Amino acid sequence: MSIANKINDFLKRVSRLIMGGGEEAVAKQKKRGKLTARERIAYLLDSESFLETDIFVEHAGRDFGLDKKKLAGDGVITGYGSVDQRPVAVFAQDFTVAGGSLGKMHAAKITKVMDIAGKMKMPLVGINDSGGARIQEGVDSLCGYGDIFYRNTILSGVVPQISVILGPCAGGAVYSPALTDFVFVVDKISKMFITGPQVIKSVLGEEISQEELGGARTQAAITGNAHFFAESEQEAFEQIRRLLSFLPSHSGEDPPAVPPAEPRHPLGDHVIPDDRRMAYSVKDIVRGVLDDSDFFEVQEHYARNIVIGFGRLGGRTVGVVANQPRVLAGVLDVDASDKAARFIRFCDSFRIPLITFVDTPGYLPGTDQEYAGVIRHGAKILYSYSEATVPKMTVIMRKAYGGAYIAMCSRHLGADFVIAWPTAEIAVMGSEGAANIIFRKEIAAAEDPEKLRRQKIEEYEKEFANPYKAASRGYVDVVERPSATRSALLKAMKVARTDRPHQQDRRHGNMPV
Amino acid sequence: MKDEELGRLNIDYTTYTTEVPEGSVTPFRGSTDLGEVRAVIPGTVVEVRTAPGDTVEDGDVLLLLDAMKMHNEVCAEVDGRVEEVAVEAGDRVEKGQLLVRITQSQ
Repeated sequence: MSIANKINDFLKRVSRLIMGGGEEAVAKQKKRGKLTARERIAYLLDSESFLETDIFVEHAGRDFGLDKKKLAGDGVITGYGSVDQRPVAVFAQDFTVAGGSLGKMHAAKITKVMDIAGKMKMPLVGINDSGGARIQEGVDSLCGYGDIFYRNTILSGVVPQISVILGPCAGGAVYSPALTDFVFVVDKISKMFITGPQVIKSVLGEEISQEELGGARTQAAITGNAHFFAESEQEAFEQIRRLLSFLPSHSGEDPPAVPPAEPRHPLGDHVIPDDRRMAYSVKDIVRGVLDDSDFFEVQEHYARNIVIGFGRLGGRTVGVVANQPRVLAGVLDVDASDKAARFIRFCDSFRIPLITFVDTPGYLPGTDQEYAGVIRHGAKILYSYSEATVPKMTVIMRKAYGGAYIAMCSRHLGADFVIAWPTAEIAVMGSEGAANIIFRKEIAAAEDPEKLRRQKIEEYEKEFANPYKAASRGYVDVVERPSATRSALLKAMKVARTDRPHQQDRRHGNMPV
Repeated sequence: MKDEELGRLNIDYTTYTTEVPEGSVTPFRGSTDLGEVRAVIPGTVVEVRTAPGDTVEDGDVLLLLDAMKMHNEVCAEVDGRVEEVAVEAGDRVEKGQLLVRITQSQ
């Protein structure tokens, strides 16, 4: 064969392979309102940056007639590219090829880019759209999943791992996204579950739709398995690009710095209601402190009584954890603890300083919570804050009562800088509760119990519901007005180091999970 | 996914004006009476091995429940006397449904 013929032959092979499952299958994918795997990669990466690997890989199936079938790229597209000129590794399962089913070589392609992501220290983005295990390949397919899960775990805390679910992701397959740092879902397209509606019906007799059981809204609002919810695939890829802009490529470097920007809506002094029983949205406070008032919220729809997300302070990435008085008065509960703890650990893994905004009446009382194990789940917040060695800054805005005061990144858990507003109430509990308990006998014996109760509440409030008791012990470093919060935090950031080592005399801790 | 209306939530004698998402706080409806044997998963009763008046001991098999592709033995958790058997073979039962009631012996 001449060189020209060889090149022609090569181009013919490639052009066949990039068609994926062929015109009909692609039309079907489109009809479902879904992009193709190649279109998805194009939306994710900088244009012309993609280097595809392993396009010629073929499956290794020998049984059930599979040996007579060709599957383009074995149903997955893999390679490297860049997002905002920074490298990322990517794989995209191709549903048009055998339903994106995962066989041995499909998995081998994925694990190959995972290994390179780990060696070259770049984030991994996995685009999931697969019917599940390739049954014809039997245990080899299961081996493929195991190889992926193992690498997800080994890469955890080394490079950021992101999963986007753009189709079905069911059974064992869904454990790979669960092991990664952030999961993105798209309305009406994403479907995640361990056992699908049919299995549930046959085993338990319950009828439920795929959407209700494991659709995007379910995963974003009820289960908390998803961190980002988008209306369209394009929006999801914009969100991923935005997320990556806040993150370092690996845990050995700081997140990229950008030029600082003043908030568009700076905080005044009257930012919370006078009545401390009234709700307000803590997101307004967070935006009032961050650069450009730009806050990128994580798990916006799940456990809304706590707010987490990324922003920048003086051009540097920070992770924000904030009680949300707008929802459930900002209590801590099982879900909020889970949400906050995982986020704190992510930030600590990737050198992202933490800013905690505190206004919480405590843990949510009730049998629901106690039976759901709020003791061990609540303990996760304590553990993750204590363990974190990134700079930890805390702003106590209003209520910081009891165990929740301790939990919300208090000095006692190793906060590096604690600022309290004059409206802060750092106390063992709220004035009503405390007065009712301390003066129970006097109140009961009084001629006018209601009057004495009110009097005692007022007395307690005056004496204890303030930041000065805590400041007098040095538990609070600075008492400042809300309007001066940002400048105080900026000064604290100036001295903050992100390279403090973790405890060396243990293999790893044993966090309650 | 919109914000909900503000409601009220009482914690430590203080009533807060705040969103209370559905299902976040439910009153206690369960039972701590170990004599009330309930289905822990939905399923179908295969065989009932006890009848009212029987004396049973902790661990005795009361009935078999077909669920999760298994015949699950549902056992007494207390010593006592069977007062009521609320199901019969072939019945489909929901999670939490009462199966057998036992009066605990003192």
